[in-house]
Formats: sequence, structure tokens, C-alpha cells
Amino acid sequence: MNCEVCQLKELDVEHFEIREVLRCILHTILFHRALGLVRPKDIDLELFEITYVQCGDVELERKIDEKIDQFLDRVEKHPNKKNQICLSFYEVKNKQPTWFTNKVERLYWEQWYINLNVAQHQKGHSGKSTSSKIVVDPGAEERNVRRAALEGSLRDVLFQIIRFVNEKKDHIPPIPNLEGVSFPYEITISSSSDSAFGMEMFKRMLQTGHPTMLS
Amino acid sequence: MDLHSYPHGEHGRFEQIFNQFLLKSLHIILDSRVPMNRPPSRGGEIRKSDRWFNLVLGDRPAAMDSLSFWNRSLMEPMVIDIILVQESRDSLSEHDSRSTLATEMPAETVIERWVVQYEHQRSMAPQIGDAFYKKTYKKSIILLRSVYSMLRLLPAYKAFRKQQSFKQNCGFEINYKICSFGSPLLRSEEESMKNYSFIPIDAQQGRLSVSVMYREDLSDFNLDSCVSHPIEIISDYVGSPLTDPMRAFPCTLSEKGHSISFQTRGRQSAPPSPFQRPHSWSSGLQRELSPQQGQPYSASPPLYRSPYEYSSSPTEAYIQRNQNQRFPANQKAPCDEILSPPFSSSPSPSPPTKSVIPFHNRRHPETAPMSIPHPMIARSPRYLSPNLSDPSRNSLPPLSPRNTKYDSSSHESPSGIRSIRRLDSARTGEMSNTPTNAGPKLSRDSKEDSGRFSSLLSSSSSPRVGFSRTSSRLSFQDDFGDCDCPFIVDDVDPPDNQTSSNLDARNCSEVSSLAPSTIKKSQDAAVGALVHMLKTAPALRQESCYYNTQSSKTEFEGEVGAASEFFKPRKTSDAFEELKVYRQMKDLLLSKSAAHLVSKEKTEF
Repeated sequence: MNCEVCQLKELDVEHFEIREVLRCILHTILFHRALGLVRPKDIDLELFEITYVQCGDVELERKIDEKIDQFLDRVEKHPNKKNQICLSFYEVKNKQPTWFTNKVERLYWEQWYINLNVAQHQKGHSGKSTSSKIVVDPGAEERNVRRAALEGSLRDVLFQIIRFVNEKKDHIPPIPNLEGVSFPYEITISSSSDSAFGMEMFKRMLQTGHPTMLS
Repeated sequence: MDLHSYPHGEHGRFEQIFNQFLLKSLHIILDSRVPMNRPPSRGGEIRKSDRWFNLVLGDRPAAMDSLSFWNRSLMEPMVIDIILVQESRDSLSEHDSRSTLATEMPAETVIERWVVQYEHQRSMAPQIGDAFYKKTYKKSIILLRSVYSMLRLLPAYKAFRKQQSFKQNCGFEINYKICSFGSPLLRSEEESMKNYSFIPIDAQQGRLSVSVMYREDLSDFNLDSCVSHPIEIISDYVGSPLTDPMRAFPCTLSEKGHSISFQTRGRQSAPPSPFQRPHSWSSGLQRELSPQQGQPYSASPPLYRSPYEYSSSPTEAYIQRNQNQRFPANQKAPCDEILSPPFSSSPSPSPPTKSVIPFHNRRHPETAPMSIPHPMIARSPRYLSPNLSDPSRNSLPPLSPRNTKYDSSSHESPSGIRSIRRLDSARTGEMSNTPTNAGPKLSRDSKEDSGRFSSLLSSSSSPRVGFSRTSSRLSFQDDFGDCDCPFIVDDVDPPDNQTSSNLDARNCSEVSSLAPSTIKKSQDAAVGALVHMLKTAPALRQESCYYNTQSSKTEFEGEVGAASEFFKPRKTSDAFEELKVYRQMKDLLLSKSAAHLVSKEKTEF
């Protein structure tokens, strides 16, 4: 089975926008992959005039928020790096235990890469607005322009997701779970210059059983 | 084709999937584009229709039941037009007001066209089997998910949300049309529309496809001009209940219950009702209102405004509540409790002077409403009955029993405390001037300050109080006797010297020892000063602050430390009490000292 990879359009975000942007993208992807019984829930973004759809799964919301918090921590620790979140869907295959490992094998059949370029200076509503009016006013127009551009880019990302889920359907495995998010998934965080990023990719390749890699 | 009697076999299963797909897609589109008059039923119950394609949408719109939907053939596409309806006026009749309304015609524009169809392909080999059926069904689920998400990303969704929030106040309506063929669009319309086609799903002998033509730009329709309330002048503004609590609020309800502008409603002949007009300071008044019968969702826009669109402006909330009057009085607005403005229940602040209105009514008409400092006599027990017994010795009226309780509430009447302190020091001879030169002493602070204090003393003391006022003013008695208040504050400095010299020769600790000439002058001056003070005195707190600044200029050093006692809040009731005391003392002193003064004057000169 092929692993379909979708590299979403890179977004330039500010620190305070990360949570909303990631929630929007992750929930949109999962809504299209939660093929079990769902009650769609419309969510309006606060920072943008965009409405996205959630599955209505409380556990899913909690997990996503958890990952977003981890991402935010990572961004704060590594401010000068491009950060990436990878949402992977996999199948669980019970692999025959060997003396190397007796783990359950994961067959990734779809991966989504969300690329965020976090601005270094943490401007925002909680930024320097209280320090001096002179500092805020000249940048307000620039922020509005940037915000509008980000909204357009985010909308493009959502359209990209819809196009991808429509174009790629044959690789989707049978639905194992008829409730909520039917496919097991994982969310991993990485950054471009992080050595762990390469390790994550290497680990994933081992797990997917790439023909060039030793299993 | 009957929905409930599908032919058996693969063809029957596919037809079933396709019909359910049509129903589901129509349900999704109508839910996302046309506000329907049906209560949301998203409870725990999951219907059979919800289980199709694993997407729980709730009750179907009532419009779907009236469609002869399942009588269609499999080959006929389902075309759903989303139409934007706006009122447009005939340009020729703009200058003719009579014909303006007659020529208002709604302009309908197709802003979206959804086409759901089964594209039969004879060349395609019929695909059968359970696996294929399941695969088709799975892809249909994904396709419907995509349609659901796409509906929220297209520009028409914004218009839908606006109409859903503002109802009939948004200047447009969204309608829909379902047919098996699409009406031809104008070339200009087609050019302004973009096309998006979802990837078709391979079906039995064809493909199941969904496509949409949509207007990318809706700015031509001025949808953003939609506001929660029209900006209009409130002709029958009633103000805050704190300013005029006895005023009844009129009720202007629309007969039809439509959402109309406030100005329009004001012209309608609805009977006023004091409890039906919502106010920014009240809460729950509009709970008595209700939507028009048959249109449970035709409530005023603020009632069903989405949270992020709700206005936080107090003015807007007030006007929004006013617009709720289109509902009949006997009905109740549904979900009215959802709306809870931040400033709704808080009463609008009333001007501080309004609280003096009753006080003003009690006083003589010629006296301006203002806060009255605490009378100086209300502090020391030394001003009790001995004053009454010996008016010649005491320049201050005796303390009333009521005022004595002010002593315990030291946080009140700071100015009165100061006045008393002045008198204390005057009586003990700490000052070069007499206590009564509390008047003269006060005059040294400033013109206004002395005027205030002198008027204070005069109001509560006998005319013999040694205020260095000219006698050319009207008497103390006139202050409370006539409608006019001709007292003018004089410069008390020169008379201060006079009275000081006069009083030095006497017992400075007693006001009653003043010379008759000065006594009469001081009486008039005191009265004038009192009136002036009453007219020009600022608010209590300001007064206390003002007194604080002026206290440093006085020679009552001992009072500087005690001036802090002035900065205590006073109540209107305290002022009323003081006024009462002043009047009593005035009457008392006048009755006792009038004749005595005249005789003394004659002897002096």
C-alpha cells in the first residue's frame, strides 16, 4: 500500500496565531478521515473569517490541543527554525515477533505535513501594545495586511486539503472503527534543523517497511 | 423511483446509495445556505437518516419533505441554485416617493449552483460485488465530508451567516431552487462564477459527481453593509430610569412582527407599555417579547446573533433591544436568555446633581441645588443648649440632637468638621481674629472659601455671627423669605480687620460678643456667603478636596491635621439634615436677636 504524502502550503504565522491555525488544519484533515459516525461541529476562528469543521470528538480535541501545546513549547525553545507538524494515519499490523522487536508494526498510508514559519518577534495583541502607542500604530496596517494574507493562505491550505482528500481515495484502508476517528493516527512535531527530525523520518521509514530499508 | 422499494440486487443497492446521497447532499447544502425554520435537533438520538454516510445532521429541512424528490429518475441531475435576493428600486422613480415602493422589485442573483448527478457511462463495464459497493459507499462518505467543508469555505457561506444572524435586517435574503435542470445563466453571470468539480466516484455503470459554480466575489451585493441595527435617531428616548423613574416607557410594536427599523416602528400606533421596551439598564424586559407566530426564528437579529458578532457597545445594545418591539406583547421571544449584553443590567449613571432634586424641592426655590457642607455646629457639644440660652454669647446655633449623631460618623461632613474646628479655635482665642471671625478667618483663605464658610455660619447662627460682610446685602432673613437670592459675596478682607479689632476687645471665644455693627454686617455677609456657597459649592468630594487645599492657607494650624477628617464622603441625607438644622437655627436666632441687634446698633453709632 502506498503512503500518500501531502505537503501543505507553508504558512507564515505569529506565535499567537499558531494555535488557531493548527487547530483549523488538523481538525479539517481529521474530519475528512474520520469516516465513522460523526456529528460535525462548525467552529469559527477568532482571528480569521474562516469556519472549519470538527468531528465533535472530545477526546480528539484534547489530543490535538495537547500536541499544539507541545508544538508551542518547541517553538519557544527553537525560535529560529521552521517548524513542522506531521499528521500520520497508519494501519496496525501485528508483525511476527523477531529477536529484533516484537512491536506492532505500523503501516502509514497517509501523511500530512503542516509547515509553519513562526515569526521571531512575538507581536500580537498581548505584545507591546501597552508599552507605547507610537510603537503600535504604525505597524497596525502592516499587521492587517499580513493577517489578511495569512487568512488567504489558510483558506488555500483548506482547499488543498479538500482537493487532496478527493483526489486520493484508493489508498484508504477499510474502516476499522465505525465511531469518530476511524483510523489510528499520530501527530509528530519536528523542526527543519532538528536532528530529531531526521530520526523521526528514519524511524517512520523503518516502520513502514520501505523496501530500501532493513526491517 | 420509490425510496422505500428499491429493486433488489446490486442495482437496487446502488440506487439506494445514490438517492440517499442526493438527499444527504441536499440536506447539507440547504443547512449551510438557507436558514430554515426548524429547531435544531442535535440531541443524543440518531436517526436512521443520520447514519447514512456516517454524518449526523439532525432533522431534515421541511422543504425536503415537500419535494417530489424520489420520483426522479436516476439519470436526472439535481440542480440546487442558491439565490441571493435583494431589493432594488427602479431608478426612474427615485424622485417620486409615491411610486418608489411600488417599483421596488427584488433582484435575484444565482450565487451558487450545485449539481449532483449520476453520469451514466455505457462504455464502462458494470462493476458489481460487495467490495465495490463498500468502496463506493466509503468514497461517498469522503465526498460528502468534502462538500460539507467546501460549503463553509465558499463566499456564500458568509452571506448565509449574516442572514442567519441578522435575519431580516440584513437587506437581502437567500433562497434556493431545486430542479432537474439548471436555468440558463446570463453570460455576465457565468463569467463572474468559478467552477469546482469534486472528483467523481465510480459507480455501478457510471460516475457519481458533484460540482459547484460559485460567485467568488460577492462585494457587488454590499453584504457587509448589513448591520445589527439601523443607525437612527431614537425619537422617543426615555433616558435612564435613575433620571426619571416615574416616566413610563412607550412600547412601539410592529403589527406584523417583522424586523423593521426602529424609526419605522416608532411611527406605528402601538400602545405604549411601560414594561415592554427594553433598556440598556434593564434585563429581561425583552423576555416578554416573542417572535411572530409561525416564524419562531424571525426574532430580532440581536436575539439570534452569533456570539462573535454581538455588539459590545452599550449604545448598540440599547438600540438592539429597542428593535425587539416588533414582537407582539403576548408572545415571548425564544432563546432570549441567550443574549446577555455586558452592560445590560447595569443602570446608566445618573448625573450627580440629579440626586439633589428632592433636596432642591425641599429648599427654597431660589436656592440652587447643591451639596451642603456639614454644619460646623454639629460637632461640638459646646454648641448645645448654652447657645440657645445665651444667644448673645454664642454665634452659633445650638446643635440639634440630630446633628449630634453626625459627630459619631466622623467620615461624613468634612466641611462641617472644618467649620466646627474653626469655631473651636476661634472660641479658644487661638486666632487673632474672632471666631466669628471664623468668618473673617475664613475670608483669608480665599474669597470663595470664606464665602462658603461664612454662609455656613450664617445659616446656622444668629445674625450676630461675626462675619465681615457688608450690611448692604439683604438680611439673613431675606435669604429664606424671598424668591430671589440677591446675596453677593463680598470681599471679606477689609471687614476682617474691622471685626478683628472689634472682637479683640471682647471675649474672642464667644461669637456673641461681637459689636452690633459688625454683627449686622456679619449677619448679612453670612447670609450672603451662605447663599453664595450653596450656589457655587462643588460636589462634596470636590469640596473636601478644595477645603483641603485651602486649609493650608488658614491660620488654624491645628486644623490642618484635622482637615483630613473632611475628606469623608457625605450623603445627601446628611445635607438634608443640615438644611433642616440651618432653618431651625435661623428661625431661632432671628426671633431672639433681631430686636437686640437693632437696639445695639443704635447705641453704637
